[in-house]
Amino acid sequence: MIALGIILLALLGVPLFAVIGLSALASFYNAEIDSAAIFVELYRVASNPTLIAIPLFTFSGFILAHGRTPERLTRVSQSLLRGIPGGIPVSILMACAFFTALTGASGVTIIALGGLLYPLLLKEKYGENFSLGMITSSGSLGLLFPPSLPLILYGLVAQVSVDKLFIAGIVPGMIMILIVSAFAITRSTRSSESFSWPEARSALLDAIWELPLPFLILVGIYGGFFTVTEAASVTVVYVILVETFIYKDLDVFKDLPGLMKDSMVLVGSILIILGTAMGFTNYLVDEQVPMTILATMKEYIHDPLTFLMVLNVFLLIVGCMMDIFSAIIVVVPLIIPIAQSFDVNMVHLGIIFLTNLEIGYSTPPVGINLFIAATRFNKPVLKLYQAVLPFLGLRLIGLILITYIPAISLFLVDWVSH
Amino acid sequence: MHILKQIDRFLEKIEGHLIVLILSLMILLSFGQMLLRNLFDMGIVWGDTLLRQWVLWLGFLGASIAVRHDKHISIEVFSGLSSIFWKRVIKAFTRFSAGIISGFLAWAAWSFMLFEKDSKSILFLNIPVWIFQSILPYSFMVIAIRFIISGTTFFENDSGQALK
Repeated sequence: MIALGIILLALLGVPLFAVIGLSALASFYNAEIDSAAIFVELYRVASNPTLIAIPLFTFSGFILAHGRTPERLTRVSQSLLRGIPGGIPVSILMACAFFTALTGASGVTIIALGGLLYPLLLKEKYGENFSLGMITSSGSLGLLFPPSLPLILYGLVAQVSVDKLFIAGIVPGMIMILIVSAFAITRSTRSSESFSWPEARSALLDAIWELPLPFLILVGIYGGFFTVTEAASVTVVYVILVETFIYKDLDVFKDLPGLMKDSMVLVGSILIILGTAMGFTNYLVDEQVPMTILATMKEYIHDPLTFLMVLNVFLLIVGCMMDIFSAIIVVVPLIIPIAQSFDVNMVHLGIIFLTNLEIGYSTPPVGINLFIAATRFNKPVLKLYQAVLPFLGLRLIGLILITYIPAISLFLVDWVSH
Repeated sequence: MHILKQIDRFLEKIEGHLIVLILSLMILLSFGQMLLRNLFDMGIVWGDTLLRQWVLWLGFLGASIAVRHDKHISIEVFSGLSSIFWKRVIKAFTRFSAGIISGFLAWAAWSFMLFEKDSKSILFLNIPVWIFQSILPYSFMVIAIRFIISGTTFFENDSGQALK
C-alpha cells in the first residue's frame, strides 16, 4: 500500500530524490533505524577519490557545449567524410559521439548539435524520418567513451575501477557507431559536394586544440602519467585556457561563473539522489532483498546467458522510465549481488548497463531524448516514435553482441593490464 | 510571503557566489596537487580530503538552486496532460509533497550532523567533520522551503504563466 503510494508520487512527477528519500524514511522508521543513517552511506561514497572527477568533467563539458566546439567538430567530421556515400550521416554520428562523451550525455548533444545537423541532413536529401531518428538516437551514442559521466558514476556506485571502465567502453562504443553507420550508408543519397583537401585542412586546423582532448585523457591515464581525477583537473584547466584564451569563444568573467552554476546544478541534481539513495539501497541489500529476488530467479534461470537476457529486458524498461544517472544509482547496487552469483564480470556488467540505458534514452514511450528532440525540432512525439524505430532495432543488435560476447568489452582491459 | 521570497533570492545569490568560489578553488587545488605529485613527487596531505568535501558542498548548493529552476530529476508521466487545471493541481501537489519530504530529510540530516558533532571526529588540521556536514541540513531545509514556495505560486498565478 505504502509502496504503491510512493510509486504514484514518482509517476506524478515528485522529484526522484524525494521519492527515494521518502522510501528510505518509511523503511527506516519501520525497522526502527535512526533516519540519520540515510546519510552515512553518502559519506562512504564521498571517500572515493574519483568523486572529484564528477564536477570537474561536468564543468568542462558545459564549457565545451557553450563555446563554438559543436560547430568546429561538425565541420571537421563533415569535411573529412564528404563525398563518400553516407558520409554526412556518418560524420554526424562521429561528431555526436565525441560530443556526448565529453559532455556526459544529458540531452545536451541533441540541443547543442541537433540544430546544426538536422537541416544538414535534410539538405542532403535524407528523409525527414531518417534524419529525426538519426539525430535523436545519436544523442546518447557516445556514452560508452571516456570520460563520460555515467561511466564514472557506475564506477563509484559499483566500486569498480574507472580506469578499466574507460578502456572497456571503447570497442563496444565503436561497434554501436559502426552498426548505425552501416545503415546510414545503405540509405545514402548522392552527396552534392566532393572531398576538398583545403577545406579539410582548414577545418582540422580550426579544431586543432579540441581534437586531441580525448587522447590527452586516455594517454595521460594509461601512460601512467595521471589518475582519473588528475585527468579531470588537467581537462578542465586545458578547456578553460583553450576556450577563453585561444578561441576566445567565452569570457572568463562574463561566461564562466554562469556555466559554473549551471553545471553544479546538474551535479547537485545527481548528487542529491546519490545522497538519499545510497543509504536506502544499502539497507535493502542488508535486508537480503536482492538475495530473495535471486532465490526466485534461480528457480527459473540457471545460466548467466538467460540471466543477462532477463537483465537486458529489465534495464530497457528502466532506461526508458528513468534517466541514466538515477538508474545507475538506484538499480546498480541491487543488481550487483545477483550478477555476482551468476559470475558476471563487474566491468562487463557496467558496459551492459550503460548500453541498455543508452538505448532506453530513445525508447518509446517515455525515453527522455524523444521529448527533448520533439521540443527541439518542433515535431509531435508520435512522429519521433516512428522515426527512431529502425535505429532502435539496430542498436538492439549491438546490445545483444555486447551482452553475449564479454570479450568485446574485456579484451582491451586485459590487454592493457598485461 | 513577500519577505520570504526576497530572503530566498538573496540566499540564492550567495549560494551562486559560493559555487563560483569553491569550484574555482577546487580547480586550482586539484591542478596544483597534480603538478606537485608529478613534478616533485609530493602533495598536500589533506588536499584530497578537502576536495571531496567541496564536491559535496558544490553538489548540495547546486541541488538547492535546482529547485527554483525546476532542474530536479523526475519521471513525470503526466506532463503531456492537456488540461491546464489538472496540470496545475499536479504541479502544486508534487511541489508540496517534495517540500514536506525534504523537511523530514533536513531533520534526518540535522541529527546525522549532531551524531558526528558528539563523536568529535576530526577531518584534518583540527577542523571537526560536522562543520563540513552542515551543508546537508542547510540545503535540505532550503530545498524544503523553496519547494513549498514554488507550490504556492501555482495558486497565485491565474494566467498559467507558472507552467511555462
